[in-house]
Amino acid sequence: MIETKHLRKEFGGKVAVEDLSLTIPRGRVTGLLGLNGAGKTTTIKILATLLRPTSGTVTVGGLDPGNTPHAVRRRINLIAGGERMVYARMTGRENLWYFGQLYDVPGKLLKTRIGELLELVGLTAAAGTRVEQYSRGMTQRLSIARGLINDPDYLLLDEPTLGLDAPIARDLRKVVAELAERGKGVLLTSHYLAEVEQLCEHVYVIGDGRHLAEGTPGELMAQTGCHRRVRITVSELTPEVEAAALAFDDRVRIAPQADEHGTGAVIELSHPGDVAGALTTAVIAAGGAPSGLEIAEPSLEDAILALSDRSVAVVA
Amino acid sequence: MNRLAGRGPAGGAEGRTAGDAARHAVKVFRAEALKQHRQIFGSKLVVFSMLIWPLLTLVQTYYTLHPLAATPGIAARWPLAADPERLLAFLATGTLGFTFFFSLVQSAWHFSMERQNGTLELLFLAPASRLAVVVANGFGALVQNAWLFACFSVAMFTLLDVVNVAHPGMYAVVFLAMLVPAVAWGAFLNSLLIFSRDAAFLYTLLDDPMWFASGVRLPTFALPGWLRAAGSVLPLTGSLVVVRGALLDGQGIADLAWPLVWLAGLSGALLLAAAGALKAGEARAQRTGQLRLF
Repeated sequence: MIETKHLRKEFGGKVAVEDLSLTIPRGRVTGLLGLNGAGKTTTIKILATLLRPTSGTVTVGGLDPGNTPHAVRRRINLIAGGERMVYARMTGRENLWYFGQLYDVPGKLLKTRIGELLELVGLTAAAGTRVEQYSRGMTQRLSIARGLINDPDYLLLDEPTLGLDAPIARDLRKVVAELAERGKGVLLTSHYLAEVEQLCEHVYVIGDGRHLAEGTPGELMAQTGCHRRVRITVSELTPEVEAAALAFDDRVRIAPQADEHGTGAVIELSHPGDVAGALTTAVIAAGGAPSGLEIAEPSLEDAILALSDRSVAVVA
Repeated sequence: MNRLAGRGPAGGAEGRTAGDAARHAVKVFRAEALKQHRQIFGSKLVVFSMLIWPLLTLVQTYYTLHPLAATPGIAARWPLAADPERLLAFLATGTLGFTFFFSLVQSAWHFSMERQNGTLELLFLAPASRLAVVVANGFGALVQNAWLFACFSVAMFTLLDVVNVAHPGMYAVVFLAMLVPAVAWGAFLNSLLIFSRDAAFLYTLLDDPMWFASGVRLPTFALPGWLRAAGSVLPLTGSLVVVRGALLDGQGIADLAWPLVWLAGLSGALLLAAAGALKAGEARAQRTGQLRLF
C-alpha cells in the first residue's frame, strides 16, 4: 500500500499540505477531494516522486521514494487530465513505444501491451496518426494509455476525465474499476463528484492542505449532516397544515411561495430516513392539497461543500 | 479491459545490476534519439536546411576573407590566406566543427520546449537515467544536424585535394575529436536547463563567443591574448586544433597527444558537471515544483 504519515509540503514558506496522513491500499479506488487549491495535486506529485515532502514520510509498497526512487517509479504512474503530456509530432504508437522504453518494458511485451492499450482507449485506428492531428479527447485517451504502459501497481489519477466525451469517460471509469478489482491501488481526484461516488470505496477530503474528513461517500454525507431532502408544495398553507408539518418533525422548514392567490408554500425537510410518504400523509390529513413533491438524494458535493465551509469557518 | 500483457519490469529493487542499468540506458538512448528525430527532423525542409545553412555560412566567410590573399606580405603572416584552396579547407573544417557544436545549442533549445509542452515532468516520472536522456538528446541532434554537411565537407576536401593525413586511422580520431566533446557539451547545456528554467539565455551567450573565440573563421593567433585564453576552455577550440592538425597539416597521434588529452579531460569534466547539475536540478525541482514552470 501507499502510506503517508504527517506529510507537510511548503513552497517558499507557503504551506500547501499540512499533517496529511493517507492510506491507499491495493485493490481499491481511493478518492482525494477538496476545492481548488486544497493541496490535491501537490499530494499526488509527492506520491509520484515529482515533489519531495518538507517533512513526514511516504512509503510505496514498503519502499521509501527518497531512498529508492527508481524502484518506486517502476511501480507507479500518473495520469493527469487536460494535459499535453505526449509528443505531438510522434504517432500514438510511437509515443507509447517511447515511454515503454523509458520504463524498460521488454520488447515483445511492449509490442503486445501497446496494442492492448490502444484498443482499450479506442485509438487502434489512429495508432499511426501523428498526435498533432488528434482531437483533445483523443490526446487525453493517449495520455491514459501512457499512464498504463508500465502496468503500475499504483495509479495516480488527477482529474483523468477532464475534457473527455461522456462515452469515453464512462469507459475510463469502467477501466479504473477493473484495475482496482485486479489488485491495483488507485488514487483519484476529480471534480466530477458523481464519478467519485461511483468509483471510490474510501474518500479523503482535504482543505487548505489539511485532512478534513474521511470515509465512504455515504459516511461522509452522514458526517456532514447531508440528508435526503423532501419538498412538498401546497397551494394553500392553512394553520392546520402548518401545525401538522411542524409537529411531524422539528426540522421542518416552511417557506411561503407566491402564486396567483398568494397563499402557497413549500414544506421542506432534510432527514436521514425515508420520510417522504409519512410527511405527505400528515399534510393531506391536515387538509392540505400537495401540488408537487420532490425528493432530492444527498450528494457528495453537498458533503464537500459543507466540509469546506466548516474549514473556512474554523480558519476564520 | 482484458488483463494487460504480462508484468513489466516492476520487480526488483533500486539496485539493479550494472548490466541491467547499462542495457536500459541503451534503450533510453535509442528511444530519445528517435523521439528527437520525429519531433525536430521529420520534415524534408529541415534536412535541406541542414546543408544550406552551413554552406551559406561557409560561402559568406570565404568571400569575406578571400580579398586578404591580395594583401602584401600576407603569405608570411598567415600562409593559408594566400592559398585560396587551403583557406577554403580551413574555413570548411571550422564550419564543420561549429555545425557539430551549434547543433547541440539548438538541441538544448529544443529540449527547453519539453518544459513548455509539459513533458519534462514525464521524463522525471520514469525510472530512466536522466544522464542517458540528455546525452542521447544531444547525440541525436548532432548526428541528424551534422551528417549532411559532414558528407559535403568530405566531398569538397576530396575535390580540392587539400587533405594531408598521416594515417587513415586519423579520420576516426578527427571524428571522435568532434563527436565526444560536442556530445558532452550538449549534455552539459541540457542539464543546465533542468537546473534552471532561465538557463536558455546561456545558449545565446555561448553561441557567438564560440563562433569567434574558437577560431572557426580566423586562426586563434589573430585574437588578443585574453580572448585566446577565454576561447581555450571552449571544447570547440580543442576540436578544431585536432581536426585541422590531422586533416590539413598531416599531424599524427603523437603530435596531437596534448590536445587530445585536453579534449578527453574536458569532455569528462563536462559530463561530470552534467551529472551533477541533473542531480542538483532534480532535487531542486522536487523542492520547488519548478519542472512545470516556464
